[in-house]
Amino acid sequence: MRIGTLKESYVADAALFDSRTQHAWLAIAAALLLLFPFVASDYWLYMACLVAINVASATGLNILTGYTGLVSLGQAAFMGLGAYTVAILQTRYGTPFLLNLLAGGVVAMLGGIVVGIPSLRVKGLYLAIATIAASFIAHFLFANFQITGGTAGLSLPPARLLGVDLDTSFRLYWLIVPVTLLMLLGAANLFRTRIGRAFIAIRDRDISAEVLGIPLLRYKLLSFGLSSFYAGIAGGLWAYFFRVVTPESFPLSMSIFFLAAIIVGGMGSILGGILGAVFMTMVPELLKLVVDLLPGGAALAVFLSPVRLVVFGALIIGFLVFEPLGLAEIWRRVRRFFHLWPFRN
Amino acid sequence: MDWAYLFEISLTGIASGGLYALAALAFVMVYKATRVVNIAIGEMLMAGGYLFFTFAAMWALPLWLAIPAAVLACGLLGAVIERTMIRPLLGEPPISVFMVTVGLSSVLIGLVEMVWTADQRRLPEFMPSDPIMVGDAFLAPKVFWGAVVAAVFIAAVLLVFRYWRGGVALRATASDQAAAYSVGINVPRVFSLAWVASAMLAAISGIIVGSIGGISSSMGVFGLSVLVVVIVGGLDSVLGALVGGILIGLVEALAGAYLGGEYKLLATFVVLVVILMARPYGLFGTHEIERL
Amino acid sequence: MAQHRISTKRRSLMLGAAAAALTQPLSVLAQGAEEIVIGGSIPMTGVFAFAGVGINAGIQDYVKIVNDAGGIKGRKVRYVPEDTGYKVDVSVAAFKKITSQNKVNVYYGDSTGFAKTINPELERNGNILMAGASFASELNDPKKYPNQFLVGPDYTEMFGILLKHIAKEKPGAKVAFVYSDSEFGRDPIEKSEAAAKALGLSVPVKIMTPAGSVDVSTEVIKLRRAAPDYTIFHGYILAPIPEFITQGKQQGMKSKWMGTFWTMDSSTVMKMGEAGDGFMGVMPYRYYYDTEKAPMLEKIRALRPEYQSTAYMQGFLAAMLFLESAKRCLDGNKPLTGANLKAALNSLKDFDTGGLIGVPITISGNSIPVGRVYRADMKVQKMVAASDWIKL
Repeated sequence: MRIGTLKESYVADAALFDSRTQHAWLAIAAALLLLFPFVASDYWLYMACLVAINVASATGLNILTGYTGLVSLGQAAFMGLGAYTVAILQTRYGTPFLLNLLAGGVVAMLGGIVVGIPSLRVKGLYLAIATIAASFIAHFLFANFQITGGTAGLSLPPARLLGVDLDTSFRLYWLIVPVTLLMLLGAANLFRTRIGRAFIAIRDRDISAEVLGIPLLRYKLLSFGLSSFYAGIAGGLWAYFFRVVTPESFPLSMSIFFLAAIIVGGMGSILGGILGAVFMTMVPELLKLVVDLLPGGAALAVFLSPVRLVVFGALIIGFLVFEPLGLAEIWRRVRRFFHLWPFRN
Repeated sequence: MDWAYLFEISLTGIASGGLYALAALAFVMVYKATRVVNIAIGEMLMAGGYLFFTFAAMWALPLWLAIPAAVLACGLLGAVIERTMIRPLLGEPPISVFMVTVGLSSVLIGLVEMVWTADQRRLPEFMPSDPIMVGDAFLAPKVFWGAVVAAVFIAAVLLVFRYWRGGVALRATASDQAAAYSVGINVPRVFSLAWVASAMLAAISGIIVGSIGGISSSMGVFGLSVLVVVIVGGLDSVLGALVGGILIGLVEALAGAYLGGEYKLLATFVVLVVILMARPYGLFGTHEIERL
Repeated sequence: MAQHRISTKRRSLMLGAAAAALTQPLSVLAQGAEEIVIGGSIPMTGVFAFAGVGINAGIQDYVKIVNDAGGIKGRKVRYVPEDTGYKVDVSVAAFKKITSQNKVNVYYGDSTGFAKTINPELERNGNILMAGASFASELNDPKKYPNQFLVGPDYTEMFGILLKHIAKEKPGAKVAFVYSDSEFGRDPIEKSEAAAKALGLSVPVKIMTPAGSVDVSTEVIKLRRAAPDYTIFHGYILAPIPEFITQGKQQGMKSKWMGTFWTMDSSTVMKMGEAGDGFMGVMPYRYYYDTEKAPMLEKIRALRPEYQSTAYMQGFLAAMLFLESAKRCLDGNKPLTGANLKAALNSLKDFDTGGLIGVPITISGNSIPVGRVYRADMKVQKMVAASDWIKL
């Protein structure tokens, strides 16, 4: 609850970051993000890049599922489309990586629009199941064609920026994190425009939205397209990061991971997407740390993989049962508490 | 055109479709009563298979004890799931409950791996092993008997829904919860009953599927094909489960035989997409999809 | 309210970055004076756990034997494993963690996917020689994968060994291939079909089963109609082989049944029950209970009284080859770089593995193309040798 932030123009009112405090925090955040790669070990740089890619993809899914209400289990398939596009372009034509990323995004976007077409006929769970079908069809395409390298997949050379190969986590950080930040900014801004508001209207009640004059087909397809564009770029970054793309790289369980990430983080808010992706990516590492610290750790280590599965499932169930609005809501509650705390009673 | 080959393949396809039908029946049971899409049906199947393995192989109980014990234990699992995860989400949008079942599938796989490890195992043989011959066409005995069991159960469930008070109560809660309450039906108990019955059917299905292909912690992918079957047949139709199962079994067998193994799943999912576009409520389901 | 959401996003990003930076492990090179470090991404949990546990034990035991004997030229050997659950990104993360905390000389990787992904990293690092649980034909390319090697024949060579045996036993036989729809399964099929034809054998049918398929009745019908003399399964561990064999026998098939490395562990084959009697396959190592003269086997049996799987043998042999390469490097006063270690490995001519492999081996490229055909004898619950050691 911020007091004293009076606005004198529409532009100022609609700004994303409007107060001095916010600008100060932004500056600190930017400084830390800039400093991080110089002090972090290779392992943490690796994790940071992975988290950034997941944040980008989760934000895309959030646009589709959190803001427009169209449940999709095909996010991994769209990432795969983007990744394969980037891999094919990079290995066959050696085109600059920014072009490849954009191309990956566009190809994924087209795929998303195609998958979105049934969304007019079917809603809710039926749509979710249709996206599962899309996932399998994509896998089939990846595994059975020469151009995608069949089941062996493709391995690609690193991206080149001004003659420097982006082949270490340190160097890739400077590609992945700015791209992710740009995408986050884009998503945040999207929901200040009428397109974003139309998405929210569709989520809340699509019949009323149509009555209000929002052409449903166009906006639903736009939502699918945007979300898969995000997925495509995230997939392209993934391809440059891992440098090997196989049909097994984007299984259905990855789509479930992203859906879980936005549920745990909080659907319908950009912060939720970020928190969810960070949390779900770091949980397996945290588990490993905990198991290492426990006495008798060696014997327990055998259980690490199944425990990870159980924790993953339990997190989804737990958040849905106890905190459906996710980590973002918990964060908001904590903030609210601290804002009021000196003045309670 | 090799008719004998076609006949043999089709026969096998129809029989293996019976396996799908049984698992689809378990799914439909839950959806019919509680409107919950249970994507963890494959994992419940797996739980049933592993429970049977524990009773029959690890504790070496005789078959006539092991099978009912596994089925009952799985039913208990169903009751626990319903109470702890589904009941609190009554009234939430269906997508939330769907995601809970997604989480549930993860939890079940993890639990199975913890207790029994992720190794593949084989179940003790208990089905008759004489090959079934229809003319010159050969039918694998396990698949045949599995289909017979499926048909028996589907017939039984159809009768139950028609004539037994409990079955009628299930149908009543399915169509209108408020009205069911007002005529005195104990709706929460109907929900529990539906989940328990579904879990028990899943256990039987799991035992049969397990005895054919062995059990492993990744058995649950069978559930995805079952999902296609129920969409094709209609999410809330018992007859649809049977017809859908047979149809999908046939499609898979033909695709596998004439196109190649890699086309099996593709064919299944193409059928799914076609049905979703043309008849989203399935062949026998109730019409309730809004068209916009 | 939009403003709050965005500011908290910034704040949480900053908090996250700060937390990450503060909790990073010390990147000091944790190493004793002059050690040889074996790093490992080991699948101790997950679908490959039965192999991972064995591999881990095998490497551990060999390291213990070497350290007890005084190490390699006075240097102690240290083994640093991490569990990966057989997932590629976890494997890569483990690799990065281990190599950032230790000066790793040799590394064991858990899968084909990991081996391919980490290859550019290996080249950049330049100080590591890698082997792994994969026998993928693609890795058997010294030009593309100069810092890696396979601890046995690659899958195509495994087929080659089986085909050579078949051609000797029954010239002109019909051999069917049944494989799984995965990279593992598809790997050797094309080249093996050509190899079969070159040996005068014919391949009447190649059947691919979708991953995770339960009912294989239609495939068995296809197989029966092709009436092969031999059927080779590849790309599976256990399922659906027993079902194929049972249904095939019920339908009156006279084929002999064969498999490749990952099916051929004794405990796996014994799980097949009646269907597994007479099941054959290629195994490059001796089994734990082989009674032919093998000093290493005796040592293993002394260390571990209960049955150890072929995965254990694989890990044990990998460690042996790792440390032999290191020893030869140090003998020649060369620094332990990836290139030198690989050159040392390739200098192994007629090397005696102490009986783990029945004949002395020569590693000229990236693989060890040697194996023997074993047959399952259900009465004694053991795998018995069905051929001599075949070299390709």
